[in-house]
Amino acid sequence: MAPPIYSALIISLGLGTTMTFASTHWYLAWMGIEINTLAIIPLMSQNHIPRATEASTKYFFAQATASATLLFASISNAFLTGEWDILQTPNTLTSSLITLALAMKIGLAPLHSWMPEVMQGLSLLNGLILSTWQKLAPLYLIYQIQPTNSNIFIILGLLSIIVGGWGGFNQVQLRKILAYSSIAHLGWMILIISFSPPLALLTILIYLLMTFSLFSSFMLTRATHINSLATTWAKIPILTMSTPLILLSLGGLPPLTGFMPKWLILQELTKQDLAPIATLAALSSLFSLYFYLRLSYAMTLTMPPNNPAGTLPWRLNQQHNTTLMALTTTSTICLLPVTPAITALLPL
Amino acid sequence: MTPAHFAFSSAFMLGLAGLAFHRTHFISALLCLEGLMLSLFIALSLWTLQFDSMNSASMPMILLAFSACEAGTGLALLVATTRTHSTNRLKNLNLLQC
Repeated sequence: MAPPIYSALIISLGLGTTMTFASTHWYLAWMGIEINTLAIIPLMSQNHIPRATEASTKYFFAQATASATLLFASISNAFLTGEWDILQTPNTLTSSLITLALAMKIGLAPLHSWMPEVMQGLSLLNGLILSTWQKLAPLYLIYQIQPTNSNIFIILGLLSIIVGGWGGFNQVQLRKILAYSSIAHLGWMILIISFSPPLALLTILIYLLMTFSLFSSFMLTRATHINSLATTWAKIPILTMSTPLILLSLGGLPPLTGFMPKWLILQELTKQDLAPIATLAALSSLFSLYFYLRLSYAMTLTMPPNNPAGTLPWRLNQQHNTTLMALTTTSTICLLPVTPAITALLPL
Repeated sequence: MTPAHFAFSSAFMLGLAGLAFHRTHFISALLCLEGLMLSLFIALSLWTLQFDSMNSASMPMILLAFSACEAGTGLALLVATTRTHSTNRLKNLNLLQC
């Protein structure tokens, strides 16, 4: 794509999210979300291959419907209460409709059907933007609704954790696995957002770190299938050490960073007398752990003298820019001992 | 719920049902999307007329601009889909299944 157009689209992506972050009026927030959607469609479909076009179409429909529903709920709220302020959204039917529209925007169950297919049709870089940057604006709006009725969030969260785990069982395509992992992690965030919004913020930040590291690892070896993971030892041997640790961190195992949000969320839910829900969430995240372990197995335990799962590739001399990836991978593996500092700094 | 509120709400719900249950053609889904935007335009215009507030008089026009951009994007995707998938039937969008 020509550099002026490419930079205009990237700047528009940044502009959209910034507008939503900076707004107190529902209309301006909706405008920021629309700009985000419109800017990423050309980025997704820039190489005119059938899969990318189909993914862009499905993404466009899901996001356009969700944006229209969001604006409709805001206008209804304005007609009923006369308020356009985001922080003053009282707890009526319209705030539930706003929550459902934003849930469709980020791909929470039961409004998640577009997510695996869209992720499958995109390149890894576009999938990274979709998983990380596009989630920020709607999550910020959900954070600001300041809900008092937690039922809808608990239902959305639990359903997303279960669907995110169960749906990824039968997948061999890495991008679909990453889509289901994204659904599961967003479920954890939404579960806690009505009880302790700073904890949801912590979960978002750690999820961003982990997802960026994993996508970067896959981008280095251009891996899109589990079989492609099996030849990583021949291309970049150090990835066979770091990527399983990133995957286990995504699964939430101590002593890696991914354990921190899950631990704090389960503690908060228990304090709110919701121990059965906490148990159900913890047990459902075992589903996700299963397919992360399957990816780790494919990467590490299929080296010679075991049977390799793929043929050896040519070793070409490639330049890899891994500065940011090194930082996020280290954070993904080593940040658990910092939990007391984070607990003290965030207003938990 | 005032009659005006009921009017645009029912128009929106009809359009949303049309978008959710579209069966055959891509373009009918795009038309329902335009119907949704039109009902929202009427809602914002009614806000300005009913409450006599000129503060938000520009909202329908901005909505129209965004809706036109979205319609343009939808039509560009329709053309791209027809070029790659040879038809605009929705059953043909089956490359990305499990």
